[in-house]
Amino acid sequence: MNPVLGIAGYVLREAMSRKFILAFVVGITLVLSVVALSLRLDVVDGALAASRLFGEEIRSSIRSVDVALRPVYTAAAFIVFYGGILFGIVACSDFAPSLMSPGRIEHLLALPIQRWHLLAGTFLGVMTLALGGTLYGTTGLVLIFGVKAGYWTAGPLIAGLMACVGFAAVYAVMLTTATLVRSAALSAAAGILVLVGGVIAGFRTQISSAFEDGLSRTAFEAVTLALPRLSSLAQAAGDIAASTPLEVHSLGTLLAGVMVFGFGALAVGFWRFEGKDY
Amino acid sequence: MDNRRRRRVWLGVAALLFVLAGVLMFAGQGDSLPKDDGPQVEFPRRMRGEERERAEKRRTWVVPMVADAGTVTQERPRPRDPLLAALPRGPGRTAVVIEANALRHSPIGELLLDCMMRDGGKQLDEIRKRSGVDPLQDLDRLVITDEGMMLSGNFGNAKFQEMMGNAVSADYGEGARVYEPGESTVTRPDGTTETRRRDTAVGVWNNQLFMVGKTPDEVKAAIDRVEGRGPDGPSVIPEGSTYGEMYGVLSVEQIAKLLPPEQAELAQRLRDVAQNVELHVDASSDVALVAEVRGPDADKVTDLGKSLGAALSLARMKAQAEGEKEIAQLLDFARVQPDGDTFKLEMAVPLEAIKERLAFCKQERQAAEATAK
Amino acid sequence: MRGLRKTYHRAFRKTGNDALKGMDLSVPEGSAFGLIGPNGAGKTTFIKSILGIVQPTAGTVQVLGGSPEDPRIRARIGYLPERLHLPGSWTATAFLSTVTRLKGLKSDAQGNSRLLERVGLADAAGRKIGGYSKGMRQRLGLAAALVGTPSLLILDEPTDGIDPMGRLEVRRILLEEVQKGTTLFLNSHLLAETERVCDRVAILADGRVVREGRLEDLARGGARWMVRFAPGVDAAALGAAGFTRGSADGVYHVEAEDPAALNAAVDRARAAGALLVELRRDGADLESVLLGTMAPAGAVGVAA
Repeated sequence: MNPVLGIAGYVLREAMSRKFILAFVVGITLVLSVVALSLRLDVVDGALAASRLFGEEIRSSIRSVDVALRPVYTAAAFIVFYGGILFGIVACSDFAPSLMSPGRIEHLLALPIQRWHLLAGTFLGVMTLALGGTLYGTTGLVLIFGVKAGYWTAGPLIAGLMACVGFAAVYAVMLTTATLVRSAALSAAAGILVLVGGVIAGFRTQISSAFEDGLSRTAFEAVTLALPRLSSLAQAAGDIAASTPLEVHSLGTLLAGVMVFGFGALAVGFWRFEGKDY
Repeated sequence: MDNRRRRRVWLGVAALLFVLAGVLMFAGQGDSLPKDDGPQVEFPRRMRGEERERAEKRRTWVVPMVADAGTVTQERPRPRDPLLAALPRGPGRTAVVIEANALRHSPIGELLLDCMMRDGGKQLDEIRKRSGVDPLQDLDRLVITDEGMMLSGNFGNAKFQEMMGNAVSADYGEGARVYEPGESTVTRPDGTTETRRRDTAVGVWNNQLFMVGKTPDEVKAAIDRVEGRGPDGPSVIPEGSTYGEMYGVLSVEQIAKLLPPEQAELAQRLRDVAQNVELHVDASSDVALVAEVRGPDADKVTDLGKSLGAALSLARMKAQAEGEKEIAQLLDFARVQPDGDTFKLEMAVPLEAIKERLAFCKQERQAAEATAK
Repeated sequence: MRGLRKTYHRAFRKTGNDALKGMDLSVPEGSAFGLIGPNGAGKTTFIKSILGIVQPTAGTVQVLGGSPEDPRIRARIGYLPERLHLPGSWTATAFLSTVTRLKGLKSDAQGNSRLLERVGLADAAGRKIGGYSKGMRQRLGLAAALVGTPSLLILDEPTDGIDPMGRLEVRRILLEEVQKGTTLFLNSHLLAETERVCDRVAILADGRVVREGRLEDLARGGARWMVRFAPGVDAAALGAAGFTRGSADGVYHVEAEDPAALNAAVDRARAAGALLVELRRDGADLESVLLGTMAPAGAVGVAA
């Protein structure tokens, strides 16, 4: 069997035994079931005529159901994107450091696998976890609103997948940080830093005008050029979830860019890990 | 591969990937500021600052002092905007105000102007010459009611005498003159005479209001309302509702009549459920319409709102299916906002769509102006 | 294992501390090799460098005819680290099957349960590792090292935390492995254990190999004997006969190159009226060898 898959399985098995990840899955299920049970949508000829939550009528206007659900889907996309990445940062921050803990890393390194397999496997395992959680949550959302409103869209699902790409870039940096310093807190801090940087990078054009023309602006532009543009991705995810036109030129290129950034960060991790003594 | 060489390769790969990522993200997002190409429609939902100012300025009618010291006459509340005061009172009446001046200076006004001047402006010149009134300069508002029509503005230069000829007329009230319907002989500028037949009564009040009614009594009643002698009921359009480029109250009967025969069912439902409909149209950019439907039975009103919402949703789906992107985009804005015994229907028409429809006006005007030169 | 030869200086970046200061060592294939030395001698670093976990600053390591960086070589090595950390929420069976897969072997549930039985964990196989005692974890670690019948077993403190009965079990397993032809590389602070299992020993001190060779050769080095006489001996007479007083009452030491010289010395003592109670070669245990080796260097410490 491929050693990368083997390590990914190792990480996944480890994750499954963590109570708070199980709690997260239970939490998603609860939210989905509460929404499914308490929300009633009254749809007439494709128009959302009335919506009731826990039997209470929500004061809202009567309009086409897809237009009416747009804010819901946009909000869901943003929650999935930023909330998911934040949860991922917290939940997955100690996978790599615990894998590199004394007594465990020696055992793993003595196994007949390449060192980079270990990092790549951890990355793959965590990404599988993120993907699984996202698919579970967003599919549930799509199903609930699809059944209740008769309006079917894969938007939230696609938004969730885009969130996974964003998280890939963030987690790659976290993993690389763990090869430098074996600390879950620092790893999480690096993740949050990339997230904040990624939000800023998405608005770099707007923000750069606030800098005085010259060295400071050039420096800002240079730094943000390389950072993953997470806020642009989030915006695009929101747009896709709500089926509104995209603001970015080419979503595919942007996604590829963020993904490639992740691989770049991972390559730095490989470089560091290959030369590290445990 | 030995370890050191492998590490160097990883570092090289990392640098390469970062550069590639930067290029891809730059190309993917683009470096131009995001621009909003989706339509932005502002619905007239309440009075805006400039409209409040406008209403403020129109309170020109100063109630004459009653020189009757000793007896205290009860001051009756009445609108101080003469035009609003002149409107019919009570439920079931119709009055729609077109802010001619504001409309004239809106994008849609430009389009309408093109249509008016399709002949190169000859007709407009003719009106100016004959009446002494420049519709583009002197006209402020135009009101259509179920009784007739009213114009407000500055009619100081109007040649009423020349227009009316020897029609039977009489002074009425504090500053009005009422012309009765019938035949009149008008002397043309070149000295020849012409006999005209007019079926309507006409009233002029203080050179500010020009009223057209079916009978002289109707015109006189309007003048009475302006001068405070009419009934006590509030004006059909309260001052607080004077927002938008076009606004007013339509009786359900009038609306039902406007609907095409295939919508007979909807017309009947409207008659059954609603009392009147308050209308506001904003034409400052795209044309946005808000119609507030009011009826005595909240449940029935809500049901009607749902039906209308569904009809709009169907129309949007149809537009989407037929690939009419613009209409579908604007129908995105269409919605019904229920609120107890009323609901607000909001709709928008894109300026571009109107421009397209009225494009022929501009072409004809340009052609006419070219030949005139 | 054809040989392990290694000469390197490894400097910790910050302190510039050399853990290993140029070591040459070769371990013959099929032998049971023990590594002893005081704390900080570099034993664990040395073991890690055999596995490629620590990369030498200079010098070369050859294991089983190849470099430890080659996964194919590592596939033939079974390793039990010093402080093995096991995932607490897993069962022993799951852990072993993961190790099997990571070693690139086909999953072999039967083989794994046989291994668990061999290390005495058959009853606890389905329990979570988190509930294991330290000794049980060590046994599981040993089982993991034995997965895939490796040609070389590198064990760092294998009996740490295991009760005396368990130690006996582990020793039995190790001897079985050696008999099967597996090369054993053992680092244990229990010298008696090393002595009982290993046929060759290297003594490490301050990052260098101080002594290395067959256990008998190392132990046989002295011509000194310990003799104990029944109470009431004439110390002066014994002194005249060549005996020096030992640390305990009635214990004496004597130098004798061969059996004839030894018997002559004993005869002289008995002639002086001393009654012989015990006689054995002085310094025959590993502890004595270690102490004897470390004492001249002035670095006597607790062996670990």
